[in-house]
Amino acid sequence: MHKFFSNRRLVIIVIILVVCFGLMAGSISLRNRRNTPPLIQQFGNDIVGFADSAVALPVNWLQTSFSSVNDLMNTYSENRELKQQVTELAQTKVRDQTLAHENKQLKQELKLGKSMTDYDTVTAAVLMRTPSSWQQQLVINKGQSSGIKKNMPVMSDGGLIGRIIEVNKTNSKVELLSDTNEASSRFAISIGNKGDQVVNGIVTGYNANRNEIIMGQVSSKAKIKVGTKVITSGMGGITPKGLYVGKVSRIGKDDYGLAQKVYITPAANFNDINIVTVAESASQE
Amino acid sequence: MYRLSRLKYVFPLGLFVSLFLDGALSHVWAPLFFRYPYSMMSELALLWLVLAYFFENGIDIPLIPFAIAAGVVADMYSSGILGLYMVLYPCIVALTQLLAKYFSGSFLSMIMIFFVDVVAFATINYWAYYMVGVTNTNFGDFLAFSLAPTLALNLVYFVVLYWPIQSLFNWATTENKV
Repeated sequence: MHKFFSNRRLVIIVIILVVCFGLMAGSISLRNRRNTPPLIQQFGNDIVGFADSAVALPVNWLQTSFSSVNDLMNTYSENRELKQQVTELAQTKVRDQTLAHENKQLKQELKLGKSMTDYDTVTAAVLMRTPSSWQQQLVINKGQSSGIKKNMPVMSDGGLIGRIIEVNKTNSKVELLSDTNEASSRFAISIGNKGDQVVNGIVTGYNANRNEIIMGQVSSKAKIKVGTKVITSGMGGITPKGLYVGKVSRIGKDDYGLAQKVYITPAANFNDINIVTVAESASQE
Repeated sequence: MYRLSRLKYVFPLGLFVSLFLDGALSHVWAPLFFRYPYSMMSELALLWLVLAYFFENGIDIPLIPFAIAAGVVADMYSSGILGLYMVLYPCIVALTQLLAKYFSGSFLSMIMIFFVDVVAFATINYWAYYMVGVTNTNFGDFLAFSLAPTLALNLVYFVVLYWPIQSLFNWATTENKV
């Protein structure tokens, strides 16, 4: 045993430790600062991504076929429910079209260009999820070549799920809103209430025990009702306005009793994401 | 001779398939693996490395270099933070080699060694990410909500995959000349 921590070994172990932590800290800060990872890393990730799809696609396919058998079981009751919704949807769609058209005309009249409500979308499939307790991260099969850029918001099931944190040529990484790390997604969101008052704020955290997004430090005195829909506010200029986040589930006070803390149940289920939509704000270009 | 056996193809292929399966299964079975507040880390690649050491039948697989390669891929592709897995995988292989010296080659002692490996792996992983600020979970929560489920999952993997992987290695190591 006395040989184990001989001088030379100890020095080597210390050097390896220092190099490791240096690399980790370096790659985290590099990732937060730069738009794309270094070229070698990008190249490696693209190649690994191709190899990964050879494993991921069959597994995904197996799962979809199993779940479609499952779906078949409750098709009948679902179908009845959906039919009712479709009739309502048609009306909403027509109204939506009319409003969008009117909006466009009004914007032209005001000589207003694209605003934060205009956005284009890119659809991608999920290849894998990071097998870690500490990072809630997905890898999707679209990258730079499909026009994806860092920090774009990602949606699934009609609700916001996270943002792009790393872009390679043919794949990219998505950090979910359920990730609790210190530098994670801080989306600007807003809640409207009956009296046309709007409460603006940012996502400040995530409560894993109850699956709730937290919007902290709300100093506004406006009354917020449970069940109100929460959308992105478009402030900051990267995330488009009007992406659906979820519904208010409860309202509490912060630790000092000064500001309000709003808890939001996300619209999307973070554990059941197969296809994602990346939204690109049109006014950026 | 590693170069002459079928292991030359079987081992690296299995290593990378298990690495990718970790990611694919975490995605497909996310409702099971990441049910709030629990989270399980699927570590098939680690299982493959450890079992490869036990089943190599006298053929010396260059485990450490392969462990480093798998670690680099895991770092770059799945976590995006360089520097952890590329050191952790070879360390766990070395730990297995060290422990195996003191125990017999029975199923029970293998599963005990794998148990120690997973505990070391998950704990160092947590500690390193805690130090660099990726997570701020406290140690008690880590034990209850991450380490315990992770151990359960990976020991199930071990029990289920022990015989299939053993027979695969037997097949790959017996006929040396291909």
